[in-house]
Amino acid sequence: MSALLEISDLSAGYGPLRVLHEINLTVQRGERLAVVGLNGHGKTTLFRAITHLVGWQRGSVRFDGVEIGGTRSLGEGRRTPGIVRLGVAMTPQGDAIFPGLTVRQHLDCGAWSPRAWRERARRREMIFELFPPLRKLENTTVGTLSGGERRMVSVGRALMTEARLYLIDEPSLGLAPIISQRVIAALREIDCRDGAMIIAEQNVSLLTGQVDRMIGMHAGRLRGDVGHVELG
Amino acid sequence: MDPSLIVYALNLSAIYALMAIGISLLWSSIGMLNMAHGASFAVAGYGALVISGAVFPWLKGLLGGTVLLPYVQVVVLLGAGVGVGALFGVLIYLLAFLPIHDKANFAVRGMIVTLAINLATVQALLWWFGPRQQSLPNVFGFGRLTVLGLPVRYDQAVTITATVLMLGAVLWWLKASRKGLEIRAMMQNAEGAALSGISVRRTALPVMAVTGAMAGAAAVLLSQTVYVSPGAGAMPLIKGMIIALLGGLGSVPGAVAAALLIGALEAATGAIPFLGQRMVLLVQFGFIIAVLIVRPRGLGGLLDETRK
Repeated sequence: MSALLEISDLSAGYGPLRVLHEINLTVQRGERLAVVGLNGHGKTTLFRAITHLVGWQRGSVRFDGVEIGGTRSLGEGRRTPGIVRLGVAMTPQGDAIFPGLTVRQHLDCGAWSPRAWRERARRREMIFELFPPLRKLENTTVGTLSGGERRMVSVGRALMTEARLYLIDEPSLGLAPIISQRVIAALREIDCRDGAMIIAEQNVSLLTGQVDRMIGMHAGRLRGDVGHVELG
Repeated sequence: MDPSLIVYALNLSAIYALMAIGISLLWSSIGMLNMAHGASFAVAGYGALVISGAVFPWLKGLLGGTVLLPYVQVVVLLGAGVGVGALFGVLIYLLAFLPIHDKANFAVRGMIVTLAINLATVQALLWWFGPRQQSLPNVFGFGRLTVLGLPVRYDQAVTITATVLMLGAVLWWLKASRKGLEIRAMMQNAEGAALSGISVRRTALPVMAVTGAMAGAAAVLLSQTVYVSPGAGAMPLIKGMIIALLGGLGSVPGAVAAALLIGALEAATGAIPFLGQRMVLLVQFGFIIAVLIVRPRGLGGLLDETRK
């Protein structure tokens, strides 16, 4: 089977600041991968470089044989919708959401393909099965939700249209342990036999047994492909 | 008080609302302060003039004498204004949005480019049509109706009805379609919208066309009482812009409320003997400045969510 995502010599940053240093990473189909590392070591920037949201970048990113990387220093976010439409779904870090929309509208935003838009009612139902607490919040404004609920909405938004690559940024950030476990369990539910999922996370113990492979990230470089880790 | 003042106020409010909502929507969805909105207004007026000049004689030959003629003429005239306005909106999109929308300082650059388009268009109209004011064919007739005891001129009735229908259609489109959802998503978080597969370039085009069409409708409706001239867009642009500001840029209900308020204020100022028509602008701007000092975000925040 060919690789779904091949990143070679990817460097990226913001203005004079260089955050990623020649990253090389290959993700196979059907893989669940965790990128672990401390705050400020480039996990989020890696995701943002894949979706063209960093200030500048260079190096190759091949997604299912299509080159979505390249060298640029301008046009941040210009190609992002196109990359999303190729089948990359990303849940941004923190609460990058639409505070004034209701949960239902927010989920509908994720249904970008005509087919998903037609089936949006059924797909929302699917998200509510995955995150039962959202069901009764359907008509609540997202800005008034708690952190855990927002994270569920954010993940749910990414699931409304089927993607081949899921980039989940810090699913547990700022959440109570029990809620982070629920979010991780929901991520396990997502079918990625054809696609792949990359989770960026600081809390390694949370991912124990939940992913196929873990890679450490330190100072903008990938350090050590540790495979499956079992922590006491 | 003269009851026809109420109708006059509503008539003004309708035209101002069409302009202000266009400006407000553009600002909140794609972050562009469209200074060429006045040019859309003037161009749509001339478009309606040229098209009606070409089509009406032919229509008269076809439907002459039948009761249908005036109705068909109204539809053709409004359609011409709306269509030309929408096309001009697309032109602004191609010239002022597409090339620079992702460059630094787009808000300022966009304002400068659209201002340039505005000036160039006014000069082009002057060169082509000359400075003479021209009037659109009066298709609404000179009669009066009585609605709820108020005397309403035909053109006022058409203006108010057409505006309500058009705003209703636009609001329904914003509420029910995916594009409307995309616009609101972009208003609130451009990056989140990009990650939802929403392309600013694809969403901006229909917004520009729709706001241009609204300016075109305003031009045809206002031209029933005022003339078409190259500089005709300046005053509707300024009033539309201050009403959009007063309503809280980006808020559609705010813009409607502000348009009603300013329309009523204008009608009332004109009727008060010691103020009169020449003081209308002074009173309007004074009022808006006073409101913005007390409430810098405009009326919008009172009514709904706006650009955060």
